[in-house]
Amino acid sequence: MLTALLRRRRRLVAGLVLAVLAVLGISVLAFGGSPDLVVYNGRSQYGDEQSFTEFGERTGTSMELRGGTAPELFERLRSEGADTPADLLVTTDLANLWRAEQAGLLTPVHSALLDRQVPAEYRDPRGVWYGLSLRIRTPMRSTERVPAGAITGYEDLGNARFKGRLCLRTSNNEYNQSLVADMLAKRGRARTERLLRSWMANDPRILGSDVDVLEAIAAGRCDAGLTNHYYLGRILADDPSFPVAPAWPDQDGAGAHTNLSGVGLVRGSQHRAAAVALIESLTAHPAQVHITENSELAVAPDVPAAAHIRAWSRVKRDPIDVANAGRLLPDAVALMQRVGWR
Amino acid sequence: MAVAEARAAAPRRRRRPPAWTVLGTLVALLVAGPLAGLPLSFVTDPGAFGAIADDLLPEALRASVVLAAGVGAGTLLLGGALAALVSFYDFPGRRWLDWALVLPLAMPGYVLVFVLLGQYDASSPLQRALRSVFGKGFQLPEVRSTAGAIAVLTLVLYPYVYVLGRAAFLEQSRDTFEAARTLGLGHGRAIRRVALPMARPALAAGVALAVMEALADFGAVNLLNYRAMTDAIYRVWYGAFDKPAALQLATLLVGLSLSLVALERLLRGRARYHGALVRGEAVVPRRLRGARAGAAAAAPVALLAVVVGAPVAQLVAWSVQAMGDGAAASDLARDGLRTVLLAGCAAGLAVLAATVVAYGRRTRPSRHGAVAARIGTLGYAVPGTVVAVAVYTPLAWLDRRLADAAGGAGIELGLLFTGTAVGLVVAYLVRFHALAYLSVDARMARIDPSLRDAARSLGADDDRVLADVHLPLLWPGMLTAALLVFVEVMKELPATALLRPLGGDTLAIAVWEATKDSRFDTAALPALLIVALGLVPVVMLVRLSRTGALAAGEIGEQDDRRNRA
Repeated sequence: MLTALLRRRRRLVAGLVLAVLAVLGISVLAFGGSPDLVVYNGRSQYGDEQSFTEFGERTGTSMELRGGTAPELFERLRSEGADTPADLLVTTDLANLWRAEQAGLLTPVHSALLDRQVPAEYRDPRGVWYGLSLRIRTPMRSTERVPAGAITGYEDLGNARFKGRLCLRTSNNEYNQSLVADMLAKRGRARTERLLRSWMANDPRILGSDVDVLEAIAAGRCDAGLTNHYYLGRILADDPSFPVAPAWPDQDGAGAHTNLSGVGLVRGSQHRAAAVALIESLTAHPAQVHITENSELAVAPDVPAAAHIRAWSRVKRDPIDVANAGRLLPDAVALMQRVGWR
Repeated sequence: MAVAEARAAAPRRRRRPPAWTVLGTLVALLVAGPLAGLPLSFVTDPGAFGAIADDLLPEALRASVVLAAGVGAGTLLLGGALAALVSFYDFPGRRWLDWALVLPLAMPGYVLVFVLLGQYDASSPLQRALRSVFGKGFQLPEVRSTAGAIAVLTLVLYPYVYVLGRAAFLEQSRDTFEAARTLGLGHGRAIRRVALPMARPALAAGVALAVMEALADFGAVNLLNYRAMTDAIYRVWYGAFDKPAALQLATLLVGLSLSLVALERLLRGRARYHGALVRGEAVVPRRLRGARAGAAAAAPVALLAVVVGAPVAQLVAWSVQAMGDGAAASDLARDGLRTVLLAGCAAGLAVLAATVVAYGRRTRPSRHGAVAARIGTLGYAVPGTVVAVAVYTPLAWLDRRLADAAGGAGIELGLLFTGTAVGLVVAYLVRFHALAYLSVDARMARIDPSLRDAARSLGADDDRVLADVHLPLLWPGMLTAALLVFVEVMKELPATALLRPLGGDTLAIAVWEATKDSRFDTAALPALLIVALGLVPVVMLVRLSRTGALAAGEIGEQDDRRNRA
């Protein structure tokens, strides 16, 4: 059928086909390349690319960091299965590593060096995942309008004094979802629901990012909010007079909810030795220092917090109960929906 | 009844349908093929639609319906009014505004939103200035609201209605309009009573495109935290790990989209306006003077200042700031090149597919062919994330089979489709085939079928009719199709995020990753590039439709000549 067309308009058709093929080929090439190690990196915006670069230069390994949100990376890993080009999965949240493990996408790593570098509380007992950094999700207060002792727990954000003066991030954010899932695991359903309903009774202003929440407090649109600690740390590094301070919760009780950013070895990895070496490098002293430069807290016990927030590392922390919180995540999403957290 | 149909079909079956018709139907079905997984999810996981989806559904459905209605009404009013204004009135700057009003098409909704959020946020210079004038308690209206979402999407989507409406007005015969005038209608009433109703199919087509875009939008809706169906899909899938329920929600969204289009057809009823397509001279625009001319010029200029001018200025300011901080220009150039290659590739393939489908229908018009062609356009109503997964699942399966087969033969093949840009291009094809097909088919509709009959009776076969008769006449439609797809692919976000191969990002991804953390100055430079690169095809599109390239261009030229006289 095409033969007649080809015969009569040979140049036209051939040109068209060639053009399409050429563009297709070029765009394949434009992405191409086959590196020694491929990292699916949920931490693409945390400034620790430097740690990867240093590892690459030291060992002569060429590396490919692929950014994306955890769910996107998870979906890819699951579809690629055994043929995945990925060697490591790095996430900003333990629940996402737990989820990958449950789907059978990760495989345990055993290394004496890792056992020394990462305290037992910050790694999986079977070695499926290792923590890279700690991040505290804490109430924040305006230093101009809220006195230091006014917020001593997550419950205080439900205090009627914050009616119309509370800022929260959206409920489809993974940090909020993990926090609520962890609360469900530790406080039970009824108490968690009461707590969330008290927050919602304050008609919170719902914003798009933790940075927005902090800036809204500084600008006087809210008096209190809930964010990860390092977003404030980053702002304070540039502007020490920023009028927002953390109000550490439950210091006489369980401590402040602390999530981990972590890494796991992908089951389909073809370069296990190099991948394990990279995990070891990311938890070693120099890389951990890079992490604190971003105001996060290091998992390595001998690496102190950044100078301007050094006191924050003495805060009593309550690490996420990953197995139970991971299991309860769908319930957390449903609960947030039910109480009207937008 | 069924027996009668079968009997009627029997003699036809003996004549084999032309190869082009078979090919066209096949292509249309192939394009829609991956979407079959959406309704299938109800069959494979009947119990998936759990408590979360049940909880989310009423609010999400309501939000989507409100958004669709708001954007539909908004784009109809704005786009229709602007098209009428430019077509029936003459005022200073009209010739310039005629094409400038299409420019917002190059502005992705999510870019407009993040610029607005940046400017509206409490600490922005704009807010500070306003507060210093009006006092500390002063607040601009909240952008993160239902009205905000409708307004933003209306502002970036109205060009669909404007472009189609303007083309329809240009084609309208002056005779009809003047008959109305001689029967005693004033200029304004003649527009309302005669010209607007005759342009109704075109305006409705524009509104349908805008509404489908709004329903499938993810970026702007997500940034505004507007809880429409796309947000619910994302929540159920990524928050609650429930992919089958997400696919079922997506099926409902497509259903909603289709029922809105069907509703419009129902409302239009049997009204047809063939007479309007008779060629003649276009209506002479009435010259406005004084304050009215000033107002007629000022309103569109103000609109463009809000949608294009101010955001671009803000993006430039942020970009300068980011470059001062040492933003990596080389990364950006590579991202830009990749984006253009991907968009070009997708545009080329989309035009090819659309032409085959349109020509297949032309060689043997049939109900089946029409249905197949319509099925092929369904992807446009499906959110990018869902298209990505729908495409990914079969391609990954195929990849694994191929890799296994090649591995058996000792060849290291890798992931041929999902590991490269091919999967992404396929997703673009599924998502944007409708745009290409509608453009090509609209052009095809204006080629008289008797041309084909004449060529056939002179002994040319279907291949030759395509090459020598149709292609030379079709190319403006094909070019329009290519440009539309190009612009859309450049802006595309969710499918790209999921399917992009290793080794680099596109501009849209660069914008998105920075926007998520409110790092607006980092997002500004790639966003500016998207807008700048998008403007080129948009301007080409406008020139194409206004110069002699389209058949209607003859009318447009006369129209222009008269303005000069």
